[in-house]
Amino acid sequence: MDKVIGFSEFSRQSSKGIIVIYGNLLINILKKTWVIFLLLITRISKFTHLNKTYLIVAIIGLFIFLLIRSYLLFRNFQFKIEGSNFILKKGIFSKKNTSISFDRIQNINFSQNLIQQIINVYEVSLETAGSNKTEISIKALSLEEAKALKERISTKNSNEETKEEIIYPLLNIDTKSLLKVGFSENHLQSLLLFLGVLLGFYQQLEDIFKSFINEDTLKNYLKESREFIFGSLFIVGTLLFLLVIIAIISSFIRIILFHFNLRFFIKHDAFEIKQGLINKKMIVLKKGKVQSITISTNPLKRRLGISYVVFKQAISGKVKKKKEKLIKIVGCKDFQLEKIKDTLFKTSEFINSEKEYPHAYYKFRTVLKKILWVLLINVFLLFIFNGLQFLYFNLILIPLFLFIAYKKIKKTFFKVSENLILVGNGAIETHYTYLEIFKIQNIKLKQTIFQKRRNITDIVLQTASGKIKIPCVPYNRAMNIYNYMLYKVEKSTEKWM
Amino acid sequence: MIQFQNNEIINLPDITEIIFKKVEKKYLKVLLLNTFCYFIIASLLFFLFTEKVITKKMPEYTGVFYFVFILFIISVFILLIIGFPKRKFAIRDKDISYKSGVFIEKMVTVPFSRIQHIEIEEGIFSRLFKLATISVFTAGDSSDDLEIKGITKEKALQIKEFISQKING
Repeated sequence: MDKVIGFSEFSRQSSKGIIVIYGNLLINILKKTWVIFLLLITRISKFTHLNKTYLIVAIIGLFIFLLIRSYLLFRNFQFKIEGSNFILKKGIFSKKNTSISFDRIQNINFSQNLIQQIINVYEVSLETAGSNKTEISIKALSLEEAKALKERISTKNSNEETKEEIIYPLLNIDTKSLLKVGFSENHLQSLLLFLGVLLGFYQQLEDIFKSFINEDTLKNYLKESREFIFGSLFIVGTLLFLLVIIAIISSFIRIILFHFNLRFFIKHDAFEIKQGLINKKMIVLKKGKVQSITISTNPLKRRLGISYVVFKQAISGKVKKKKEKLIKIVGCKDFQLEKIKDTLFKTSEFINSEKEYPHAYYKFRTVLKKILWVLLINVFLLFIFNGLQFLYFNLILIPLFLFIAYKKIKKTFFKVSENLILVGNGAIETHYTYLEIFKIQNIKLKQTIFQKRRNITDIVLQTASGKIKIPCVPYNRAMNIYNYMLYKVEKSTEKWM
Repeated sequence: MIQFQNNEIINLPDITEIIFKKVEKKYLKVLLLNTFCYFIIASLLFFLFTEKVITKKMPEYTGVFYFVFILFIISVFILLIIGFPKRKFAIRDKDISYKSGVFIEKMVTVPFSRIQHIEIEEGIFSRLFKLATISVFTAGDSSDDLEIKGITKEKALQIKEFISQKING
C-alpha cells in the first residue's frame, strides 16, 4: 500500500481514467459540433441508403479513433514526486515534461464531474500562480491516491504533520439555506449570465441558419417583430415579467449547481471547501496564498442575516480567467464571518483606528457620474421612441440614480491599522475588503487637476489579486499612508505568497 | 491586556522629501519624432477618409473636420511639451518611484522586494540618442507597474544592476 502511494516512481492514473478521458473527448466534440449533428438528424430521411451507411461508418470510426486516442493519452500520462517537485510526463507524439516545485502550487483541488462520480474517481488539479499553461490536472485517481498526493504536496515536510485533527465544518449549508441564498442573489446579474449563455448558443445556431435562410427575409422578420414589440406595451410588460421570472430561476439554478452541499473547513494552514451538485469540487486554499478577502452583503441578505465571502488569490496579469481564482463562500452567518476573519487576520487591530471617509469632493464626483448616466440613458431613449413621452422615465430614473449615489457615498470609507487595511464600498450591495499591508505590490497616487485644487488624491493599492482603490483622501493623510505602507512592505520579511 | 498602540513613527521616510530626477532632455526629441511619425500615418488615413467619405456625403463639414484634426495634433504636441518636465523618477535604497501626468498627476512606487523582473527596451529613435526604457514588473496587474522612459542606456543598466543586487543580496 505504502509503495503505491509513495509516488516516488512514475505512475499512471487509475485505469478507469480511460473512461473519463474518453468521456471528456466525446463531450468536447459534441459541444463543438452539436449543431451539425442536429441538422444531420433532422435531414436523415432525405439521405439515400448508401449515404446513411457512410455516415454510420464515419461515426463509428470517430468513436473508435477517440477510444484509441484516449487510451494513448492515458498510457502516456505519468507523474511522480521527486524531492519537493511534482513531475509530469505527457503527450502522445510530442512529449512534454513539466516540473513544478511544491511551494509554487497555490491550490490542490479535487473535483468530480458526472462520469467521475459514477465510476468513483477524483480529478486532482494543481493550481499555480503563474501562467495557465503550467496548470496540471490528473483526471482519475482513487480517493486514497488523491488524498495521499494532496498530503505529500501540501505538507513540505512529510513527517512533520501526521496528526490529523478531528475537523468539523465551520459552515455546512443545507438545501433550505441555499434556497435563501438563491432568493437573495443579485438577480440582474443572473439574468445577464443566463443571456450570455443563451447568446453563445444563439451564435452557434445563427452561423448554421445563415446558410439556409435567406438573410433578407430574416432581417425583415426581425424588423417587423421589433416594431410589433415596441408597439405593444402589454407585450413589453409580459416580457419584463418573464425576464424577472427567468432571472430568479437562473439565480436559484446557478446557486444550487455550484454550491450544493457546501461545507467549509478551517485547517491549521488552509481552508477546505467542498461543494457542487453535478460537478463536485473540493478546493484547498492555503491561508498564506490568500491576497485579500471581501465580505459582501445586500439588503435582502442582510435581512436574512447572511453574507458571502470572496477569497482572492494571486493572479498573473496575463491570465484572463480571473473568475477561476476567486473562491466564493455563500450564506455565511455573522459568527462564521468573524471566525474566518480571525483565522486570517488580527481584526482586533481595528479597534483603535477610526473610520475615515472621503473628502466632500467625492460626493460631487459620484453625483456627477450618475447624472451623466441619466443623460446617456435619455439619449438612448431618444433614439428608441419617436415622441418625447420618454422624458417621464426620468421620474423614476433620477431619484433611483440619486439614491444609488447617496448609498455609494455613505458606504465608501477606509480604515488603516498597524498591519491591515479595510476598505468599504458598494451601492446597493455592501463590500468590505480586508488586506494585509505587506501583501501590497505597488502603490500609486492619482490626482486630477480638479482634485489638485482641493488638495486631495486617490490612492490605488496594487495587489497580486487586483487593485484596491481609496478615493479622494486629503493629500497630507494620503502621503502619510503612502509612506507608512511603503515602510511596512519594505520592512516585512514575510512571504506575500 | 495592554492596549494596542499605533503611534505614528516619527521618522517614517518621507517620499516627498527626496529629490526626483527629470528624465533626459534628449528624450523629448524622441517623443516628438515618434509622435510625428504616428501623425504622418494618421494624417494619410484621415485625408483618405475625408476625401472619400466626408466630401462626398457632407461637403460643408470638410473644413470643420480638418480644423478639428489639426487642433487635435497641435494639442497633443503641446501636451507632450508641457508634460515632459513632469516625468521624474527617484530611486531610494529600497524602492523606485516615478511621477508623470499633466491633467492627472500620477506617482507610483514599487518596493524592490516585490519586483518579479526588469526589462530594458530601446526603440528605434531612442537608439539614435542612446536612450532606453526600463520597466519593472510585479505580481500585480502588469499594465500598472512602473516604467521609466528616456534615461540613458548606461543609467538603465546601472539601475537594473542596482536593483538586482538589492533583490538578491
